[in-house]
Amino acid sequence: MSEPAAQDPEAPVVCGQYETIEQQQECYIVGMWTFLVTEILFFGGMFLVYVLYRTTYSKEWAAMSTKLDFWWGGLNTAVLLLSSFFVAMAVRCAQLKRTRAQLNYIGLTIVCACAFLVVKYIEYSGKIEHNMFPNWSFVAPDGIEVGPARLFMSLYFAMTGLHGIHVLVGIIVFVVLILMVRAKAPSISDHIPTEMIGLYWHFVDLVWIFLYPLFYLIPAINP
Amino acid sequence: MSNAEHTHILPVRHLMANLIKLMILMVLTVVAARLAPIPDTMFANFVAMGIAVAKAAFVISIFMAVKFSTKLTKLFALGGFVWLLLIGGILIDYYSRPWEPVVGWEDASSLPRTPGVDE
Repeated sequence: MSEPAAQDPEAPVVCGQYETIEQQQECYIVGMWTFLVTEILFFGGMFLVYVLYRTTYSKEWAAMSTKLDFWWGGLNTAVLLLSSFFVAMAVRCAQLKRTRAQLNYIGLTIVCACAFLVVKYIEYSGKIEHNMFPNWSFVAPDGIEVGPARLFMSLYFAMTGLHGIHVLVGIIVFVVLILMVRAKAPSISDHIPTEMIGLYWHFVDLVWIFLYPLFYLIPAINP
Repeated sequence: MSNAEHTHILPVRHLMANLIKLMILMVLTVVAARLAPIPDTMFANFVAMGIAVAKAAFVISIFMAVKFSTKLTKLFALGGFVWLLLIGGILIDYYSRPWEPVVGWEDASSLPRTPGVDE
């Protein structure tokens, strides 16, 4: 066991394959980044499809974009940015070993995540009510060709839906983290688990940062 | 190097300033796209995506603390951009195909239709 662990009973345990606690912590963070790179590739396929069809049906997609409520999307962007701040604060508190404040900030992040999903539910409900979701009887708004319009809504539901699943997973992981911190689980002996989950949450925020302008805001390339 | 030296603890004002920058950028992107739309639509596309990239840079560098992390972490964070090279290569392939037609890669609409299958 390394020297700091021997001196301080609350210090994180250095596993046998590492020489120092710094090396161990760096390894965890690098591992998390590797996972995030695979997540980027996962979403990347969908972003590629978006680019190909957007350049093909630029006018139709820009017209469909105006059918989405940018206020709801903007609210969700603000909520996610705020949640990212709360996560960064939670990591800071974990570093300073202020457990109570750490748990409070994680709780606030979960509240933001739930608020995001509620807004998404309201948006999805409106689209389903107006038959603007991918199905055989899909009705395009006046003046917009049905094929590209359905394609737009298909990709909208696919990409925001996949993102929504990530938000849901984030909520579950944060709840598990709270339970483990409260139970003083041996694996939560330092700030690294909070930082790793925080990195995941910031990634979820990053994806939405690009989804928002792509679906809600940008006009036709060649009107 | 001690654990405290290794771990960079960001001051609250630093995190708060980052949040304020992000919120200002979010308001700017809505204004530029919807409330006071930029007339040149191509330029508007660049503005919207430019603001998104700036927001992403603030989140990655400060909230994800890449700015203060080790060189190895920075290298792996950079790995996230490999995807841009892949998408670039795919787009070059996709859009350059009409320039150099290859037998078997014709546009499906120009091929003879198969009775019972296409009709």
